[in-house]
Amino acid sequence: MRVEALLQFALAIAFIVLWVFVPTWSLSGVNYSVSLMPWGFVVRFFSEIHVIPPPTVYAVWLFAIDAGLLPLVWRRSRYSLYLAALFSVLSLSMLMDTILFQQRYLQFHGYTIAPTLTGYIYVSLPTKPVLGLPTYVLLALTTLSIFNMATRARWLGAEAIEDPIVAVERVLKALHIEYSRIEGGVEVGGIKITRQGSSLRLVRGSEAIEVDLKTAIIETIKAGLKQPVSVGVVDYGED
Amino acid sequence: MAPNPFKITLLISILSIAITLTLIWGTAQTAPNLIRYSTLSNAPYIKVESINVTSNGVYIRLAIINNGALAFTPTSGWVKVVETGQVVNVTIINGAVIARPPLTPQWVNLASVGVKGIVSGILNGSRAYIAFFDVAPIHIINTIGITNVSYADCVLNVTLSVNTVVPVVIGPIINMSLFTVSTPGYYVFETVGVVNTTVYAPAGSHNVTLTIRVSLALGRYTYVYSCNYLSGFSKYTLWLPIGVTYMYPTGNVTNYTLLTKTFIVGGGS
Repeated sequence: MRVEALLQFALAIAFIVLWVFVPTWSLSGVNYSVSLMPWGFVVRFFSEIHVIPPPTVYAVWLFAIDAGLLPLVWRRSRYSLYLAALFSVLSLSMLMDTILFQQRYLQFHGYTIAPTLTGYIYVSLPTKPVLGLPTYVLLALTTLSIFNMATRARWLGAEAIEDPIVAVERVLKALHIEYSRIEGGVEVGGIKITRQGSSLRLVRGSEAIEVDLKTAIIETIKAGLKQPVSVGVVDYGED
Repeated sequence: MAPNPFKITLLISILSIAITLTLIWGTAQTAPNLIRYSTLSNAPYIKVESINVTSNGVYIRLAIINNGALAFTPTSGWVKVVETGQVVNVTIINGAVIARPPLTPQWVNLASVGVKGIVSGILNGSRAYIAFFDVAPIHIINTIGITNVSYADCVLNVTLSVNTVVPVVIGPIINMSLFTVSTPGYYVFETVGVVNTTVYAPAGSHNVTLTIRVSLALGRYTYVYSCNYLSGFSKYTLWLPIGVTYMYPTGNVTNYTLLTKTFIVGGGS
């Protein structure tokens, strides 16, 4: 699992969790305010509070979850990254559409007038539009998902491998060589590579020699190519 | 055989874009049912509490009726009296909203006036303006009181402070007396019957003096015990039941009122 894809997932989760507490967009004012929450517009007018749920608001976070989750669920093809980027863009555009809903149907001109027994009352209610923190997280998610799509989620470079056994496994996986994991190492064909402290041991039949990582990889490939090639799985390997 | 990822991606893309378009269209369709209209209920309003016409001017007192949770605090405003055309700014005195147009001759003819205006202030932290129009009856307030009394050589001088909206004729006096404030009390003089001394005061605030020579000439039942203050007594009360005729443009109105004054000879209290 790539760190880049995990980061994308983390941003999607952060966006939704943050949004539960902080509005993505709001018109803030003293006695009148509108806050865009995951469940709709929360409109406060003096002591009254109403929730206006435009259907598009649900699409915003549903698409954001998809954009974060899809690269983790579907790891075979790089198309999953394309689709995730599309979802994040759709999420952002649904958010914009929901904000436009307010401008179109909940427009507010900054005052209210009410009749009274002897005349009328005019109350000035100035408001200020504010983009909330979750919106910036969503923007970051969209940017990252597009970047991941362009780089096949490989912009962090090679993963640092501290365990040489993992490095051997990685090579075998890439070459679709079937191997099995054994106690402290891997077994390919007739040879075993085990880790002993900081060095590697190669066991072939009854002989056991100390080898470096390069030799261990070469020997396992040699052994592996002798056996039938099977289909393995490499993250985002396919076109 | 694994399905072609390109086909899957294309299918899901088209599907999700179709979903968004449907949602946008659906939201626009349902919007009129989703939104709701709200207006202020139980908003504060303004009534004219009282209009007092005095010789010093007209006092229009406005009452702010806060009949809900919303509290209005006035800061400024103006009123216009429809009948006289006067426009004045209001002053806020300890939360009371008071307008003070000057007294003009028209006021004396009126029984009630229409008052309109705007009071601005703060409603729950928001700037608000209350416009109003109200009709209220007028109370004309005339006051007459004794400010100073002197008695020497059988001549009684009474200084009256007259604050009236219309000219007045003060007098006659019925059954007046001057007596000591002591136990027992002693009369200096007393009259039984009507003393036809009158004094005229124009509209406004004035001091007028009634001068009465206290003697048997005032009437048969006039008892004069002393022509000066009694020796040994310094505190006296003047009892002065008197008629006051207000000369309204619509006709004269005579009221009888009791004026009293307790005083100490030579000042003090």
